Amino acid sequence: MGFLGPNGAGKTTTLNMLSTLLRPSNGSATVNGNDIVKKPDAVRRSIGYVFQDPTLDLELTGRENLDFHGRLYHLDRELRQTRIDEMLRVVQLGDRADDLVKTYSGGMKRRLEIARGLLHHPKVLFLDEPTLGLDPQTRRSIWDHIQRLNEESKITIILTTHYTEEADFLSNRILIIDLGKIVALDTSENLKARLRGDVVSLAPKNPKVIPKMCSLFKEKDWVRNIDVVSSASIHSRESGAMHMAHGKAAAPEMSGSWGQMRYRVSETEKPITDNQKSMQNMKCDNDSGDQASDWARLNLVVDEGAHRIPEIVKIADEAGIALDSVELREPTLDDVFLSFTGRGIREEKGSFVEMVRRYNILRQARGRKGRR
Amino acid sequence: MVEPLSGQAIYVVLLRELKRYSRAKARIISSIAQSFFFLAIFGLGVGSFVGAVGGTTYLSYLAPGIIGMGLIFGSVASGISVIFDRQFGFMKEMLVAPVSRTSIILGKILGGALTASIQGVILLCMATAMGAFILNSTFVLGAIAAIGVMLLITSGFVGLGVAIGSRLNDFHAFQLLSTFVLWPLFMLSGVFFPIEAVPFPLQVAMLADPMFYGVELLRWCLLGTGTPLLGQYGWIISLGVLVGFNMLIIAIGTYLFSRVEV
Repeated sequence: MGFLGPNGAGKTTTLNMLSTLLRPSNGSATVNGNDIVKKPDAVRRSIGYVFQDPTLDLELTGRENLDFHGRLYHLDRELRQTRIDEMLRVVQLGDRADDLVKTYSGGMKRRLEIARGLLHHPKVLFLDEPTLGLDPQTRRSIWDHIQRLNEESKITIILTTHYTEEADFLSNRILIIDLGKIVALDTSENLKARLRGDVVSLAPKNPKVIPKMCSLFKEKDWVRNIDVVSSASIHSRESGAMHMAHGKAAAPEMSGSWGQMRYRVSETEKPITDNQKSMQNMKCDNDSGDQASDWARLNLVVDEGAHRIPEIVKIADEAGIALDSVELREPTLDDVFLSFTGRGIREEKGSFVEMVRRYNILRQARGRKGRR
Repeated sequence: MVEPLSGQAIYVVLLRELKRYSRAKARIISSIAQSFFFLAIFGLGVGSFVGAVGGTTYLSYLAPGIIGMGLIFGSVASGISVIFDRQFGFMKEMLVAPVSRTSIILGKILGGALTASIQGVILLCMATAMGAFILNSTFVLGAIAAIGVMLLITSGFVGLGVAIGSRLNDFHAFQLLSTFVLWPLFMLSGVFFPIEAVPFPLQVAMLADPMFYGVELLRWCLLGTGTPLLGQYGWIISLGVLVGFNMLIIAIGTYLFSRVEV
């Protein structure tokens, strides 16, 4: 099961309550049949928790971290040793087990934490942002681990994530949470079906007419939802190539001097900053004039999109709006997320980029200091 | 909620402290070097013009206090490390395990007391090698008693560290803490000068310092005498005060730690 929600939605808080780290201010919950307030010890015995922040002891070796965990969960010596070897094999850390954790890479640390969370054979495993800040290769390998675990050991896995594609890939059921409230709980397919429609994405030749298009299509009762996507956000979504071009263009100027190198770095970063500003997925009614020039696409959620396209084009035509392109696609989990939370996920992603950056900086700083 | 103690959990937290200590070479070396400088420079320097203090050389007078300094700084730092554990997440790993917080804290206190006392024993050996103590059979017995006193002192001050560490959220505050708590505790403990020789207000301040009694006890063990101010049975008074302080501060530390939120 996946918990999906923007920053500050309450995903981690929910896990902290379910794992008895936080006392709920009211309400009740049971984990593996045990009430989280009345039987915290039974709950703790039946769960494994892989926290969002790194929680390994860097001054101990991988094996010692696991051994420490096994002792805290009252596993006897023999069982501890078999399980530790078994788990090290599963996460492929056997050959590094006796090195200090501070020498591990980010992905290795994460795998060790997952191994640790599973060491005592929990009935329920909580994974809080399991792939935050990891590169795509490591993320994919961790996804594979999680999936294999879920199939082989039949444990319930609850994961929280920012990435809609991660929730989509890993979860049987997805729970969307926003501002502390559950807004939807279903399978990914059902959630997408609940939008009951397709996304027809329109790009006008002149972006300035988008507000006009908005009011035009808002009147139609067959249009269920309208989202405006800014140009900057398309720019970022569609092109690694754009960034590459940027890098290439700037590269010849880089002669190795520090000043120019910095210049180049800020050049390549610039598109990201721009995105952050204009990434807000603006709703129609929220039209501030100076932002209008950034608007580039209008996404309409409609039934049977393929059949509506001629009508949509006709409406635009009659209003004298020249369209550059029309796209039809099935709703993604992103669209579902948007329709449920209202606030654009892109906005969150903007701050998310920032967050990951800070997180990585912090991580590196920690590694350098070598001090916990 | 009644929290059952778990020997295994106490042991494992203690084990972690020992392992981390044995790997923190820089910490061990710098503490030994610091104490060495104090003994060599202060002991010989100040000793050469004050002469004898309370019937012993200044170096002998100074040595138990410098050992005490190693104990107090080592043990408070060890208790304060709960801040680091919280900041860098490892605390969550312990708190989410099916063991009571009291077990975790007792492990922490025992582990911290043990590592700081090991440090104290190293300093004791060094001071002995520098000629601070007269080697005879009484001294051997006294040194063994001193090890017991070290464990007593350090467990109290780890408790103090835990109490403070549970309330502070920011390890930058450690600097403030060191200036306003550790140094006064250390300097008022009668390391450098005998209490009977100072003005009354300072005497009161020294008597209010729990570490004063720790240093007194160490002197009784290692030199066989204490300050005339507490009299012939000064060691009993010191022992009593220290035990009382320990019970109080460990209770406070355990209480504050049990309310820590991650």
